[in-house]
This record gives sequence, C-alpha cells and structure tokens, in this order.
Amino acid sequence: MISVQQLTKRFGEQVAVDGITFEIPAGQIVGFLGPNGAGKSTTLKMLTGMLAPTSGTATICGHDLQRETLEVKRHVGFVPESGAVFESLTGLEYLEMVAALYAIPEAAARARIEQFIAFFDLSFSTLTDKLLGAYSKGMRRKVVITSALLHNPPVVFFDEPLDGLDANAAVGFKALIQTLAREGKTIVYSSHILDVVERVCDRVLIIDKGRLLLDGKPETLVAESGAGTLERLFTRLTGGTELERRAEDFARTFRP
Amino acid sequence: MTADASPATAVSPDRALRRLFLTLFLRGRSSRGLRRNNMPRSVASKLLLTLLAYGCFGCFALAFVQRPVFEISIYLHGMTLLFCGMFIAASSGEILFNKEEADILLHRPVTPQALLRAKLTILLQVSLWIAGAFNLAGMVAGTLAPNGNALYPLAHALSTVLEAVFCASGVVLAYELVLRSFGREKLEGIMTTVQVLVAVGTVVAGQLVPRVIGRATFRSGSINAHPWWFDLLPPTWFAGLDDAITGNGGVRAATLAVIGIALTALVAWLALGRMARHYETGMQLLGETTSNVPASQLTSRRWLDSLVHSPLLSWWLRNPVRRTAFVLVASYLVRDRDVKLRVYPGLAPLLVMPIAFMMPMSHRAADPFGGFGVAFCGAYMGMIPLFALSLLQYSQQWQAGDVFRAAPIPGPALLCAGARQAVTCFITIPLMLFFTAVVYFLRHTSSELPLLLPGLIALPVFTLAPHLGGKAIPFSKAGEEARSARRGLDLFGVILVSISLSLVATWTWAMGWFPWFLLGEIAVVAVIYTLMRVFLARTPWPSME
Repeated sequence: MISVQQLTKRFGEQVAVDGITFEIPAGQIVGFLGPNGAGKSTTLKMLTGMLAPTSGTATICGHDLQRETLEVKRHVGFVPESGAVFESLTGLEYLEMVAALYAIPEAAARARIEQFIAFFDLSFSTLTDKLLGAYSKGMRRKVVITSALLHNPPVVFFDEPLDGLDANAAVGFKALIQTLAREGKTIVYSSHILDVVERVCDRVLIIDKGRLLLDGKPETLVAESGAGTLERLFTRLTGGTELERRAEDFARTFRP
Repeated sequence: MTADASPATAVSPDRALRRLFLTLFLRGRSSRGLRRNNMPRSVASKLLLTLLAYGCFGCFALAFVQRPVFEISIYLHGMTLLFCGMFIAASSGEILFNKEEADILLHRPVTPQALLRAKLTILLQVSLWIAGAFNLAGMVAGTLAPNGNALYPLAHALSTVLEAVFCASGVVLAYELVLRSFGREKLEGIMTTVQVLVAVGTVVAGQLVPRVIGRATFRSGSINAHPWWFDLLPPTWFAGLDDAITGNGGVRAATLAVIGIALTALVAWLALGRMARHYETGMQLLGETTSNVPASQLTSRRWLDSLVHSPLLSWWLRNPVRRTAFVLVASYLVRDRDVKLRVYPGLAPLLVMPIAFMMPMSHRAADPFGGFGVAFCGAYMGMIPLFALSLLQYSQQWQAGDVFRAAPIPGPALLCAGARQAVTCFITIPLMLFFTAVVYFLRHTSSELPLLLPGLIALPVFTLAPHLGGKAIPFSKAGEEARSARRGLDLFGVILVSISLSLVATWTWAMGWFPWFLLGEIAVVAVIYTLMRVFLARTPWPSME
C-alpha cells in the first residue's frame, strides 16, 4: 500500500530525512516514532504531497508520489500535528468545504459528517452555530480527524492525533483506528505517547536524525533488545538515557 | 458557505475554494468569536463603510464634469490604480502565502494553480468593489463631459475591470518572478521588498508622474498633447480605451487601448499560466520547517542584543517591561514576515507623497506655495509613527499577546511605551533623516528646514494617539483585522491633516510669525501630551470579550 525507497529531504545544508526505505501493506497500523526534530513530520508531509522530496521515490496505492501527486492526495487522509483549521468557519462549513475538495456529493458528505458527529459525541448545533475559533482544542481535533476521514481514504496519516483529546475521546479514537485497520485501511501513526503506540500498533518504525533506526513488531523489538518496554528501548536508541540524571541535577540546583 | 448546489451533486473544488477565500476575507481568518450569529463581522461591515467612503470620495470627480473625457479618465484610472494597488499590495502577502493554510489545504487534491486562481479571483473581486464605489460618480461626470456620451459608463466599467485584472495579475507575477529568480531561500526577505515596491509603484503611477508631466500639458485635455513617455503609464492605456470606445481619441486612443488590452492579457497569462508553477514553490516553502538558522539571522539577533545593552538604550529602556516590548517590536520589525509585509508596504506610500508635493515646485522659478512642501514633509514625519503603531497591533501570533495580560502588569501603558520607543528607533528617526535629506536636496537650501519643525513638535502627540483608550497594543489583534482595504482612505485622511498643519505653518512663516507659532505649538503639544500620558497610564487592559 505504501512503498518508500531512499526518501530524502534536504533544507539547504541540513538533511531532515536521510534515505529512509520501508514498505507498509494494507490493513497495518504502523507507529512512526522519533524524538523532536527526527524527521517524522517532514516524512509525513512528503508522503502526503505537501513537500517535494529532494530524492528518492514513494508510491501510495500504486500512485507515484511525484508524478501522480493529485491521485496520491485523493487516496490519503492526513491529521497534521498543528491541527490547523480555518477558525472563522463553523465546523459544518469547514467539513463541507473539505468534502467539496474531494468532490463528495453534498448529501453523501452530510451523511458522513453526521456519522462522525455521532461517533465523537458532538452536537449538530455546535457544528452549525459555533465558529471553529471558539471550539475547545479537543473539539477542534475531532473536526480535523473527521476532515481527514471524510473521503474514506485507504491510507491515513496521523501526526499526534491524541493531542487535546480527553481520555474518553482518546479511547474511542484508538478503537476507531483499529476498526479502520480491520477494514483494510493502512494507518501511519506518529506519536510521542509510546505506551499507546505499543498497545495499538502492529509495527513500529523508529527514526532519529532523519535515519531509520528500527523496524519491527513492538513486542518483538522489546523482547530482542531486553529493554522491557518500548519507552526504554526508545530512549536507549535516541540518547534519552541521560535524562533522568539531568532531571535530578536540575531539581537539586534550580533556584527561583 | 452553505452550498446551494443540488444535494446529489458535488460543489466543484474551484467554487468551494472561491467561496472559502471570500468567506475568510470577509470574516477574517482567525477569531475568538463565539457563535455564528455573533461572529466577527468587523471586516465585512468596515468594508461596507469603506466602500461608502470611497463612493463619497469619488464624487470629487464631479468637479471635472466640464473637462474632456480623456482627462476625467486619467484622473479616475490614476486614483483607481492607487487604491486597488494599495489594497492588493497590502493584502496579497496574507492571502497568497498563509502559513497555516499549508497544513489545511496542501494535502488535499487541489492543484496550486486552482488555489492561485481562487485567491486571485477574491483579490480581483474586492478590487472591483473598491473601484466600482470610487468610479460611480466619475461615470456620471464622463457621460456629462463635453465630448462624453452614453457609452462612457460602459467603456469605463470595461477599462476599470481590465485595470483591476492588470493590477492583481501584476502583483502575483511579481511574486512568481521573485521565486523564479531568487529561489525559495530568499523568498521571505524579498517578498517584503516586492510588496514595498508595488505599493510605491502604484503611488508613483497614480500620483507622482501626473504631477511631473506639468499642468500645462495636462490641462489641455487632449490625448495628443502628452509627451510620448506618458503612454508608458497604465492609467493612460485604460483612459485611451475609454476615449476609443466613446469615439473621441482617434488612432492614438485606439493604440493605447490595444496596448492596455494586450498587456493585461499578457500579464494575466503569465501570472496564471506560464509562471504559476513558481507559486507552488512558494506554497511548499510554507510547509517547510527547519531548525537551521541562517547565519545572517544569528547576526541580527546579536546586533539587536548589543543595541539594547548599549549605554544610551540601557538608560532609555531601564524599565524591564518597556525593554521587553522594545525587543519584541524590534524583533518583529526585523524578522517577522507577516509584520514586515504589513508595516513597510503600508509606510512606503507615505514616503512618496511629500516628494510628490515637492517635485513640481522644485523646477519652478518661483514657489507659489512659499515652503508649503517642506512643511508638508514635516507634518508627514509626525504621521509616520502613528501609522506604524496602528499597523503593529496586528499579528498572526496575536493570541500569544495573552502572556502580557497574564503577567502582573496593571495595563498596556508600559508595553505601548516600549513599542513607541522601538518605532522611534527603527522607523521614525531613519525616516526623519531621509525626509530632511530629501528637503535639502530638492530645495538646494537649508534656510527652509525650520519648516519641518511643526511636524516634529507634533510627533509625540501623533505617537501617543493610536494608544488612546488601550488601543493599538502591539500584536494584540489578528492580522486580518488590519482593514487593508481602507489603507487608501487612511492615507487620504493623513494627507488632509498634514495639509492643514502645513498650511498654518506656511502662513505664519510668510507672515513672520513662525517663532510664535512654534512656541504656541510647543505649549499646546506639551499640555496634550501630558494629559495623554496620564490617561494612558491609568488605562486598564481592554476586555477580551
């Protein structure tokens, strides 16, 4: 479903993504992990056609990322980390606008929107009367997730999707992505919340400084490394082991 | 935004985008608004008032009712180019390259060309509203002109549409050429320069050049009485089209009309077709994030830090809140694309207007205005911080301004004071030196330089004025509230105030009462300034509702 070969992105002298290669079949939930600045968001932006790669190739649902960018965009849904929306539109106006961009007929779009409203426990009057600028962060995130799934894409990229969601909504969201994967959709899930990734994902990719460090099933990787948890394995790989000692030093020496 | 197409069919992406950008323009892009029926209508309602004011201002064209069609058209097209150009120059950066929009739209199946078309349509639509309001009375004047007829409104409507297309496409093309020539790395810095040049260009084309032509030639009203290079100016082409359609201008009018139509078509084709791929480059640039800081930026940070810690500024900025505000405003004036695109193109026309008033005088044997141009320059200097501070209240990061409300500061006075100090250092003082140099070089004497003083003396009051009532707090409002469509009218208001002050100064200069006038002005300014400072110090934070 997703095939990435030697994908590279440079910003001037800086190499943000350095020749990563992986394949993801249909129906798999893949955790995409890495510390801040590792190149996760840049990779996701390239795979969604937002950024042009410097070199390398990628195909999504058989469509070449660089030659058939519009086809790729039709087949993917993306929840960006920023959760940006047009704040002066109402939720319904925003979702109808997104539906129009995917050429979804109005009646079908309205029916799908209502399904998501019911799933996320949003009230229709909120969606029609309130401008998105007045929504809470969690409500806004629900609208962004709805907008990513509205056209029923076979591949969905989530960049920190739980940011702002309350505990109940987060549980519901995790159930949703597992259901989507069972229906054959490919999910790429980028997050810093490692225990959620460990529980939800079939496979994890760990990148740091633009390079792919590990690729495998979470339980296998944890067992083979002897780290005990995915979190320990992650910090060991990405240089986070010093953090506990530094935190102790900080607490000891910090004076207001 | 509610679709009016049949439920079974989909709204076309192009139409959805046009509707989206118009809605965003009318409502503003971000809001703390509450409900739909209470949503921010400020931009839309202000736009309506602005159009009404443009309509009233357009009535001035009725004074030309006895002039030939070509002269009326030159006036109307010159002013239309000025107003539309200033609106487009001020709005295009925000509309064409919005950073947040990249995360929302770039992963959707729409081409950058479709985005560009939709945005250009909105720029064009609003430009036509402005042009329509301003030209309404002019159409009546053209119809009633000695050589006018019933065809004039139709001809002028057509030429005005063409002029707006030319103006909007020209701005887009300028951005595309920058992207093509300099690449994405330099886009942000160069965009500001392009926008400043566009703003200055529209003022020059609309105001400065007709003055240089000379009244004798202009007043003849005949299309054949102008020098050849007059044909290079866009308002002339479109006035030629008016003349050609109403059957007055002959071969020269037809030639000008053909030039206007051909160049408009060429610019539109280049902007929307041939060069549109460079817009995609610009859009992708917005999606790029890099932790690499260019060496030039590091240098500017160190430079700013050194400046703030220099002995003079350390003393001037000894209050920590003032110093914080100074650094914040100075940083944004130097680094922030959104602020730079608003402030510098907004101020650029101010630099051109005094020169426009001085140039015709500079090559005359006798100056009938007796130093009016110099006094006008001085009055303009006073207006610069007023304009700059008004523009600095807008930012895309306006919500970050809450940090000041959360801090234990009783009101915005100290914050505004720091902003005033930054504007004084980075804008007012450099421009004062610029204006003084301009006066000296254009008048070839320093004897009239004292006429700059009335404007300088009024400067502290003009600087405080935007902050009255807790307004114009730096970076406290969304960028879209900047009412960019009103910029042309604001400029007109500034000209009126400057003219009034300058007239009084020139009159007292001629009568030999100038020193007394200055003393009187100092006394009045001192009283007003003290009262304003006291009032501002007591002003609490404005409500966030």
